[in-house]
Formats: sequence, structure tokens, C-alpha cells
Amino acid sequence: MSRITVYTARKVRTMNPSFPEAEAVAVRDGRIVEVGTLDSMKPWLGAHEHVIDDRFKDHVLMPGFIDPHIHPAVGGVLLPSYWITAMEWQLPDRISPAIKTHEGYLERLGEIERSMDDPDEVLLTWGFHKIWHGDVFREQLNEISQTRPVFVLQRSFHEAVTNDAGLDWLEAERSELERHHQIDLETGRFFETGLAVLFQSVNKITLNPERFARGLEMHKRMVHLGGHTTVGDMAYPMMNHDFEWEMLSERIDRDDVPFRMKIVPRGALRGDWNGSPTENLARVNEMETLGTHRLRFGNAVKLFADGGFNAELMQLLPPGYIDGHHGEWLVAPEYFRALAEQYWKDGKQIHVHCTGDMGLELALTVLEDLLAVQPRFNHRFTIEHCGVSTPEQAGRIRDLGAIVSAAVYYVHELGEAYWHHSIGYERAFQMSRMGTLERLGITTAFHSDFVVSPPQPLHTAWVAVNRFAESGAVLGERERTSLDFAMRAITIDAAYVLNMENEIGSIRAGKLADFTVLEADPWETPLEDLKDIPIWGTVFEGRPFPVEK
Amino acid sequence: MTTRIPITILSGYLGAGKTTIINRLLSGDHGRRVAVLVNDFGAVNIDASLIETEDDNTISLTNGCVCCSIGDDLGAALDAQAARHIPPENILLEASGVAEPKRIATHVGFWPGFELDALIVAADAETVRNRANDKFVGQLVRSQIRHADIIALTKTDLVGPEAARGVKAWLRNQVPNARIFEAPNGTLPVALAFGADRASNALSGPVEPAPHSHLRTVMCVPGTGLSRAGLARAIEALPSSVHRVKGFFRDLETGRMTLLQCVGRRHEFLEAPTDTETVLVLIGVGSDTEMNGAMDLLTASDALEADPKSTFAARISD
Ligand SMILES: [Zn+2]
Repeated sequence: MSRITVYTARKVRTMNPSFPEAEAVAVRDGRIVEVGTLDSMKPWLGAHEHVIDDRFKDHVLMPGFIDPHIHPAVGGVLLPSYWITAMEWQLPDRISPAIKTHEGYLERLGEIERSMDDPDEVLLTWGFHKIWHGDVFREQLNEISQTRPVFVLQRSFHEAVTNDAGLDWLEAERSELERHHQIDLETGRFFETGLAVLFQSVNKITLNPERFARGLEMHKRMVHLGGHTTVGDMAYPMMNHDFEWEMLSERIDRDDVPFRMKIVPRGALRGDWNGSPTENLARVNEMETLGTHRLRFGNAVKLFADGGFNAELMQLLPPGYIDGHHGEWLVAPEYFRALAEQYWKDGKQIHVHCTGDMGLELALTVLEDLLAVQPRFNHRFTIEHCGVSTPEQAGRIRDLGAIVSAAVYYVHELGEAYWHHSIGYERAFQMSRMGTLERLGITTAFHSDFVVSPPQPLHTAWVAVNRFAESGAVLGERERTSLDFAMRAITIDAAYVLNMENEIGSIRAGKLADFTVLEADPWETPLEDLKDIPIWGTVFEGRPFPVEK
Repeated sequence: MTTRIPITILSGYLGAGKTTIINRLLSGDHGRRVAVLVNDFGAVNIDASLIETEDDNTISLTNGCVCCSIGDDLGAALDAQAARHIPPENILLEASGVAEPKRIATHVGFWPGFELDALIVAADAETVRNRANDKFVGQLVRSQIRHADIIALTKTDLVGPEAARGVKAWLRNQVPNARIFEAPNGTLPVALAFGADRASNALSGPVEPAPHSHLRTVMCVPGTGLSRAGLARAIEALPSSVHRVKGFFRDLETGRMTLLQCVGRRHEFLEAPTDTETVLVLIGVGSDTEMNGAMDLLTASDALEADPKSTFAARISD
């Protein structure tokens, strides 16, 4: 057995309500053996060889942060692109500053173009959003470059814009682009199904293995920067199991990586969403045997109900959208039910992507039926995202024993936009109703759904406790949460959602020695500054990993 | 003249009978090289004696057809068809049960190298009315029906003639002038799925005999040029028993050979090669009198009209 290391700290916030604060934590072989003060842990220290490490004497230790819902493959695809964003993003190698004007956008794009050495490199930029950046059209991009293909990808992939060089670079013939109803050559805009034509060519860049590996490498560093020691890959694989597994094994399953990843397989594969439920169960069960130390599986699957929140394809109960459009189902409700039945009978934890209140209604209706047919305790049926919901549905979540993994950031970035353009004030005011979940005592995790929002748990918690909308105004003060609730949602309750609360999520004897090391105590920081608490780094299974400055 | 591969979309909610339609179409001896793109490869069930080769995602049949799985990239699946040594003459694409038909029609109809031929929506006589009122999928099912060029009404044998009439009346109520084709056991005639033979010269040859007694094909060679505007209005006035119109005619306004393609209530005019022979073909389920009457309506569009509306109204009233 190895020597014990005792980390002393200005304060240890254990997130164990029975023993909330401490000054020291003793660690051996990657696990916690004792929590308390140097004095209280004397029996352990007297009996075993140990060393005191006081490098955190001015810091606050928290349990390692957990984001139960990210998508590493999306990071692999997007992070190697040039980012120009309306919100500030801390990237591993750079800050993407908040650029909120049309002029600012074009100026930054020009700067990027001039900084590129290889004249043949295609300029792919992500993060464009019309609300802030106005109309960016072909002619303006021609001024950025006459010769280099420039592709401006909208933040949630609603549209893309390109210049003349880009139009020439695409494989599709000009006449084919011309006749497409969702491609406008005059403005250089590709939208909805027209986008697929653009991606037919652009994917050849983004899915290049060398580039993807680089993106994954950056994603790893982002996860670390956010202070995480555990993340969940909530719907694996994104596209292709063989390719992604090779990438993840090579890049994540290594000794120098300061976090583990719980992988939750898709209950049905993307695209066709088909195959019989029994075949899908067999596929998932076989995948679970692949687990390694850092790439873990559990007895869980991800299913999907309605469409994306950012794409305004969530399914809404009446009165629906202001403009009268409809959301979509990602799988047929009957097929969703058949899959859920299969996985339920097999005892799996089911995570369901639900963004709108009609999607949630479907998930809860199916859960209720499953419970009637085959009651289960501790099933942890998890509502993922929970964007638009009703207060009554929240009650039903509680009554059915379901839990929530919430996309809180929606209210910050989209709250006001959806109030004005999508669903109106009342429902935008109450979206991501975390306050209700707290009042009802529903176990809730917060997630970033990276790249939907920055993978920074303190930032997510800051949104939950303040509900500052994009303009800075508070949107839905009755749906703000307490600080305790928010901090649990990124530690112990997130661990519960991943069914790992016996190993991680709080600082207590027996758990893995995962800590997030903060420069300030969240409980002594004004709530509006929560997101700005600097992170020194993490301790993963007993080993300190400072963030690179 | 276009060389794009025409796509027929087979849409419809779960359980509407799409797979049966596909299985029958693949096994049929219809003399066309069709590629059928399906979502669920496992559900395709073809007589082993018809299978030439089979691998992970393609079945090649002795009748020249292939069946391929779409996988998770629809565009890539289409590109793979276009890249085949001998590309298919027609593609039948099975839409996912939750696909909004308009969206998928735009997606594949404008995919480089392809064009939309028809959007056929399978509706199950037994369940479609309930589904159309379902809290979760009602809007989707109604939207699928509304956007159909042709509705293939399946399982009519299971509900009996009276209930089948009821469903048809209900469908017509949802979609005035709906083109409905009864496909009780899932048989969708090739002429209905893909239209009259595509190659321009083949139109003047014998039109394939429809295996179904109630599908009729009427052909006519108009003696004069026709007016686009007149044709467009005639098409709107066609009885709902006419499902498809295809033809080549000399446009009275421009003097150019023009291709008319009409499926259900949707039509388009395209430029045709100058040496094409004039012909009009109607496919539908009407009686002989109805079909011939429809043809007369179309071929009457033979004059340039000073005030098209009133002239047209006068013509159909006499
Ligand atoms: Zn997600």
C-alpha cells in the first residue's frame, strides 16, 4: 500500500451534508481515506506513513465537478474551426471574445483570414448568430477573400454563408445550387436542407481523422479548464462507433488525462433510428463490455423524444410557436415506447432527450405506463434538457420518481430571443424551471451539452442562481435556485444522475480522490460573480493537475 | 433536358404499410432498374430466389433492382447511387415515419443530381383517422397526408368496403382533390410509383400494362401545340381520379418543345429536346369516360388566349 498524502486547504467544501466543511483530506491510492482536520485525522496518520501537501493552503477544495452531458465528438468536429461568438468562450488555446456587432464580426473574420499562412486552407468559422451579427452575405465575404473559400457556420447550424471562392470549391455544380429552394446564390446563404449540400463537401474537412484528433485534444483541455473530473458522453456514438472508439481510446484512455468519461450509448442508432429493440439491446450490452479505467459504461442508454431546442424543433403543447411552425419527433413515439420498454425490462437507466413540453409529456406518459406494467425502484429515468415544461409536469416528474439533467444555459442565451421571436414572454420566463425542481425536491444535475453551452460548471451554476438573460436582465426570478442546489447539481447530484454517487460527487472517506481546486469559496462569493471564480486545476484520483496558464 | 435521377418518396407514419409496398415493388417483374433506399434493412423480406447478391447494406435482385440501407447520411446514400457503374433509372426512397414530407422532398428533390418525381404517402385505412387525432403524432400524420401527391391507402381489405369508403371520404375532407390509390395488399403499380417510362422516346412506345385492373393509362398525340397557361388550368380542373400526367408538347407561346410533368396536384414545365415527339400520357383510376374526358380537357388548351381565364371558363362550360 502506498503512502497517504494529506492535502490541506483553506477550506474543503465536501458536499456531504452530514460533514459539510473540513480543512484537510487524506488520500491513498487514488481514494479518500479520511476527511477533517490534521488533528482529527491523527489516528490514520499515526498508523500509516504519510506526507502533508499544503500547496492548496490558500485554496478551496470541492468535489471534482461533473458534467453528465457533453458530446466529445462535436468538440472534435468544431474546436479546430475558427470561432467568432456572441458570448465569450474560454477555449483551451484562446479566448473567443463576445463579439456582438456586425462590424465587429466582419473585422474579426478579416483578422483571422489575414492570420492564415496556408493560402489553400479553407476558412471554417463557427458561432455566427444573426441576432448579434446581422446579415452576413456573399459579397461581404468576397471582401474578406476573393480566393480563399470562407464558410460561416451559424451557431446552431441553422444556416451557412459562403463567398464566391466557397461556391466554386463545393463539389456540387453551380446549376444544382442554383435550382435549390434553400440555397440563395445571390446572398451565398445555405439553409435547412440546402445546408446538407454544403456539408457534403465541408464534412470532408471536418471529419478528417488528423483534424478530428486535434479537436478532441482541445476538447480534453476544455474539460480540464472547466474543473471537471468526470463527464458523461450522453449519446455515443455521434456518427461512427469504430472511428470514435479508436479516437477516444487513443486520446482519453491515457494516464495523463485528468478525467474519466461515462459513456451512455444511444438506445437506437442515428439516422435510421431503426432496428428491433432486441437488436439494439444486444448492441448496447455488447458495447458495455468495452469499458476501461477512464472510459466507463454503466447500465444506461440514451433515447430521444423531440427535436433540438436551439433549432426550435422542440415539440410544444398548445399554444405552440408564435409563427405557427411545428417541432419534430426524432423518433416515432411508438418506437420510442418500444425501445423504452425493452431497456426498462432489462433494468437499464433510461436518459431521454426532451426539450419541449410535448416531448416531456411523451416521456412521462411512457414512464407512467412502464411503471404500471413493471414497477421499478430507483430507476433514475432521467429527463435530459427540460427546456420548456409546465409546473404540473414538474410535479409529475417527482411523482414518477424521475430525475432531471438540465440545460440551464438556455435561459441565458435564448431566453430573451425566444420571448421575442419564438414562444412569448410567459413560457420564456419559465424555461429551464430549476426553481420549481428545487422546491419539489427533484434530484437535478446541470449540464452544458457542449457545444450548446460552455463546459464550465461554475458558469452553468451562475445562470441557475441568477437567471441573467443575455441582456443582463433577470428572467424568471421565481425559477432561480439556491446556491446549494446549484452546487449539488454540478457535483453530488450530477454523480447521482450518472449512477456514480457511491464513487464520486462528494468528498468523503471511500470515494475517489477527485477535487476541483478553486481560488475562492463559492459560498463567500457574490452570486453574480460565481462564474468568475478562478480554477487552479483539479486533483484526479489523488494526482494534482494544474491548468496550464 | 435534365439527366437527374428521379426520386419517388414513400412516406407515411409507422405501420402504414411502407415495408409491404417496398417488398412487393422489389419482387415485381417490372423491367425497370430501380434502387430502393430503406431505413430498416432488416425489415426487407424478399424471396431468396430473386436475390442475386447480398451484403451488409445492399441486396441486388435478378430483376435489375437493388435495395440499399440509407444509414445515417441520406445525401451520402444518394451519392452512392449516382456513383454506381450503371445508375438506377428511378429511386424509391423510404422516408422515416417521423419525417415531415415537405422537408424530405426539398432535401432529396434538390440533392445534386436528383429530382423529385412523386411524394407518395401510405395511409393505413384501419388506423389513419385515429392517428390523425393522436395527441403526439396527429399534426405529423395530417401534414403527411396533406403534402402527398398520391395517397396509397393500405389495408382496405381488412376494414371492408364501407369503412374504406368512409376513410376515403374523410381523406377528401382533409385534402380536397386528394389522389387516392387503393393498395389493399401493398401493391403499388410501377407506373403509379414512377410514372410513364421516363426516356422521352419510350413515351411513344407501348405503355407498360398495369397489373392492376383499376389503374388505367390513356395516351394521346395532340395535333397542335398547346398553351402552358391553358394546360396549367386544365390540370387544376382534372378529376381526382387522374394521378399522373406526363407529356411533350410544343408550347404555343414559345414554339419550343416542352415537357409537362404532373403528379397529383403538383405540376411543372421543363424544356425538352427539340426532336422529341409530341405525346400526352395520363395515369389514373378513373373510368374510361373519365380518363378520356380528362384527356380532352388537356388537349383543348390549344389556343393562345387573350384573356385566359374567361376563355377557359367558357370552354369548360360548353
Ligand atoms: Zn446533447
